[in-house]
Amino acid sequence: MELATAKRPAPGEKVAPRSGPMALLGYSAETMEAAMRIGLDFVAVVPNGFESLLEKDGVPVVPWDFNRRNEESHLLYEELSRRGVRWSVPLYEETVEWAGAINSRLADSPQIFTHSLLFRDKAMMKRRAQMSGIRVGVFEEVDSRTQVHRFFRRVNDALVGVGPDRENGVSPVHLKPISAAGSVGHVLIRSDEDIAAIADDAFPCMVESHLDGQEFSCEAFIHDGKVRFLNINEYVHLGHCQLTPAGPGLQSIRSQIMQEVERLAKAFDVRHGLLHPEYFLDADGELNFGEVANRVPGGHIFDLIEMAHGFDPFAGLLLCSDPETREDELEKLFPAVGESPRGHAANLMVYPRKQRVRELCIPEEVREDPYFMKHDLVEPMISKVPSREGFGNHYGQIVFFGPDPLRMREILKKYEDLDYYV
Amino acid sequence: MNTNSQQKASSKPQTLAWLDELLGTIEDAPPLAKGRYQGAIVSAAGDLLDNEQGLRDLYDRAPRFDKVGLFHAGPWENPADLRPSLVSHGLRAEGAVSTIEALSELRMLSLAMGFHEHPEVKAEEAKEFLLQATARNLDLLLGTDSEDRQRRPKIFKRAQRVLRLIQDEVALEGLEKVILEEVRVLSAQRPIVTDRLQSLVHSALELAETLDTHTLGDGLSKYRRAMDDATDLSRSARNPGEYRRSLRDATLEQLQSESQAMAGLMHETGICNPCHSALLRYLCESHGELLGSALGLNQLGLAELDQNEEAVRSLIRVAIFPETAPAIYGLARTIERGLLSRPAVAQGLRRLTDMDIAAEPRRELLAGFSDDSAVTANAALLAGTLGVLGQPLGIGQGSSPTCQSARGMSLWSLHAPNLLLDMVVSAARNEIVEMEFEGARVASNELPPSEYESRFDSGVDAVSKVLVRHLDRIYQEMSRRAAGRGEDTHKWVNPAMYGRWVARGFASPIDPLTGRVSFYRGFVRRFFATHHPEFHGGHDLVYPNPVGLLVTDVSGRLIGPHAVSLQRVAQDEKGELRAYFFNPNNDGRQDWGQGIRPSVSGNGEIPGESSLPFEDFASRLYAFHYNPYEEGDAFAVPDESVEAVVVKARESWGRSYPWAE
Repeated sequence: MELATAKRPAPGEKVAPRSGPMALLGYSAETMEAAMRIGLDFVAVVPNGFESLLEKDGVPVVPWDFNRRNEESHLLYEELSRRGVRWSVPLYEETVEWAGAINSRLADSPQIFTHSLLFRDKAMMKRRAQMSGIRVGVFEEVDSRTQVHRFFRRVNDALVGVGPDRENGVSPVHLKPISAAGSVGHVLIRSDEDIAAIADDAFPCMVESHLDGQEFSCEAFIHDGKVRFLNINEYVHLGHCQLTPAGPGLQSIRSQIMQEVERLAKAFDVRHGLLHPEYFLDADGELNFGEVANRVPGGHIFDLIEMAHGFDPFAGLLLCSDPETREDELEKLFPAVGESPRGHAANLMVYPRKQRVRELCIPEEVREDPYFMKHDLVEPMISKVPSREGFGNHYGQIVFFGPDPLRMREILKKYEDLDYYV
Repeated sequence: MNTNSQQKASSKPQTLAWLDELLGTIEDAPPLAKGRYQGAIVSAAGDLLDNEQGLRDLYDRAPRFDKVGLFHAGPWENPADLRPSLVSHGLRAEGAVSTIEALSELRMLSLAMGFHEHPEVKAEEAKEFLLQATARNLDLLLGTDSEDRQRRPKIFKRAQRVLRLIQDEVALEGLEKVILEEVRVLSAQRPIVTDRLQSLVHSALELAETLDTHTLGDGLSKYRRAMDDATDLSRSARNPGEYRRSLRDATLEQLQSESQAMAGLMHETGICNPCHSALLRYLCESHGELLGSALGLNQLGLAELDQNEEAVRSLIRVAIFPETAPAIYGLARTIERGLLSRPAVAQGLRRLTDMDIAAEPRRELLAGFSDDSAVTANAALLAGTLGVLGQPLGIGQGSSPTCQSARGMSLWSLHAPNLLLDMVVSAARNEIVEMEFEGARVASNELPPSEYESRFDSGVDAVSKVLVRHLDRIYQEMSRRAAGRGEDTHKWVNPAMYGRWVARGFASPIDPLTGRVSFYRGFVRRFFATHHPEFHGGHDLVYPNPVGLLVTDVSGRLIGPHAVSLQRVAQDEKGELRAYFFNPNNDGRQDWGQGIRPSVSGNGEIPGESSLPFEDFASRLYAFHYNPYEEGDAFAVPDESVEAVVVKARESWGRSYPWAE
């Protein structure tokens, strides 16, 4: 394993001319850079304030406030259609339904919009999956603490005798906002006290039973209804470290996972773009569906994919999202089916473990590890460590790359317990 | 184990290789995507800065930094915009900033060495920048021990490595001159707090030793002597305690020469020797007749001492200790100002001696002293008050954005010392400062903390420590109450806050609601007609005028508004008309672009004053007070004079504002 093998892939060939530009919804330098690298025309639809920056770079730009939905929202479609935009791509959770609305009008197909809403409502999403025969946990939409309390009791009553043998004999339930991205706003409920502590503005939200097992995510690049590339990303410790592609355990059931992802794509009627679902593999080898997103995954998973598989996933996202992409363009970008990865990439999110920190100090052991690749940690900004929100405010990540997924998993677990700030 | 180590030797990814890859990637990236790689480069560079070889490797690549866009779209992008005075803050900063600052220095070094070029920064200019930056960071260069250094040793070692490289690469020939000038300028302003001056002298002396140069050492000798080598007896004593014992055996002649030497150096440099306090305390006991000479008083001062000898003795006994020695200069100047003959002042100072100081101000007053110090909070506050009364123009705001409070204290010290003392007493004892705004009471203890309060600089004088938080709250509250009236709030806030010394007329060309500049020519004419001796009809300034300046950087770009006091307008020795002003930021040597460089000495300044040619000052002015009954002839001001100011204003800060004309 040489450093060279983890290098950035070359930009590759330019794509064939298209009939018009794509609209990229949300400010993502990565995606815009990828579009420029493959020669794909685009219009950037970005929050107000970013336009002058982009105009300086010669990027066609439409400033838009994605948080405001009112009787003027259709103006975005009209502006884009005036500019000859033929399709739009959501880059952030908040822009998913905007892309749905625009694309449904571009394709004159109203269900594209209604389907996009499935991604923005976690309860609706789960119900849709369940109705398509996909295994999900028990869940409920709730408006009050009383309802959370009832759900918590019922789940635990139902598990009497068969439930997981936890320390205090309680199976936790999870409370999640309906429409936030990833782990933002997630609360673990273990007791009545936890329920009492739920903020008033958390409602309405959903609660779901706890799913045990190995959690992992998939990044499925879908074009014309077919999965063109599937990455399996293993959460070694959710929110702390992950491994791409996953180790031998998950890889051995790859075809089963592929079937599940295809079923999901069908259930959500995703013909173009990226699906980023999360599953739990339980002790019986059954897959339970957690949730799914239709945008670029968080946690630097795309960086890991690029290192491990040797293609630019942002370019992959663009090509898959574009109905006009040709077969040969897809073939050139994605690794062939059965082609082994260049190696396994993993990252470790670093959270200072002390209340007060002064300096960054990466342990020699970690730096000297043959799998150590790079890090993006900097000196601490303030000496008081903020409390965590979702998995969002880690101080940065350390990236590892190496041939052996088992060793990788071992070192991740080991290094996770070290101090990176003193 | 064996395979592991083999793997390590052959495959461990080198940070440098990673950096090179990143530099290649960022170079190819379109401008909008540069930011995607800047963070990773900074992280890699941070690691490299941790050793000499890594630093050299970075330096080798520095000629590429500008070209690849390493600083793209950030504050460091254009080296022509950078200021040497900010390097110190940058190198010590938290987060990614310290690394970016170091990389920026390497870029500057590459420019200075001619390894690459920049359209706006010539090699000579880059060299001058590095010279200035080095001179202001001698403590970092020399690795001077400090609390901050002990806390974050890695950051300080990195900074030292970078500055050493600069020192090795560019022959810092001018460095000695720059340092001496910096010392001279700091000393000329006679600040109340002399810590910065003293640590600069210490560092410079250390540097002189390592460089083995005489010019620097010679130039610093009077400062060195003022600090710790003033007299024969103090030289042989290791500390003020020993010095005190040696005074017992001293002859009268010896005492006389000790007194003269100590006082002479103090008045020459503004620095007080800790032994000086021991001398004064000893003289109080046994040789009161030498006090005048030991304080270096002028004729007026001697007469004052004669009148108030008991008060002076008691001030020395209560407030003058080795730890509070800097107050000796303040004491001498307070006596010379005749303040002790004013009953209200004398009474106010006595109150400071025996009043109870509340817990919070007590903690702040004593924060700077070591464990074995026996100085009381009252002594610290009294000593600080002597500084503020004796050196009204030596008050500094430190690094806090509290220029309004500092200039208020300065004005009161000059024209209403008893009012100032009342406020100090009330703030220290009751933790309240009360004022009135348009008939309504404004009390600091009922107001929320101002936004900077948690970040106030603790390196300011004792009175500022106690008073500024109250004044700042009041200033903010008055500004809040005056907001939205369609005119600059200072029109109402300044007279209410500073008192009746502020004239009621107010001029500003900037509409606070629209931010638009209008009637600027008229504004300039009015300033001439009220402040220029040729046009103001003989109405010289009586009290300092709290004016607003728009401070600009080297390139003339707006930095922000700043509160100063216009002290007087007068001709200097060369016959040039200058505006003399009090700038509480104590950073006399600035460059505001367009050749406008405030000076602090050499142009007729009283210690603590800054000055500029009248028209240059006018070109940065955006608000001033005037007496409407004392307006001169605005129409008589020649068009050329007005035009010259207009051009300088429009081409500097004026670029950041819309103009109505």
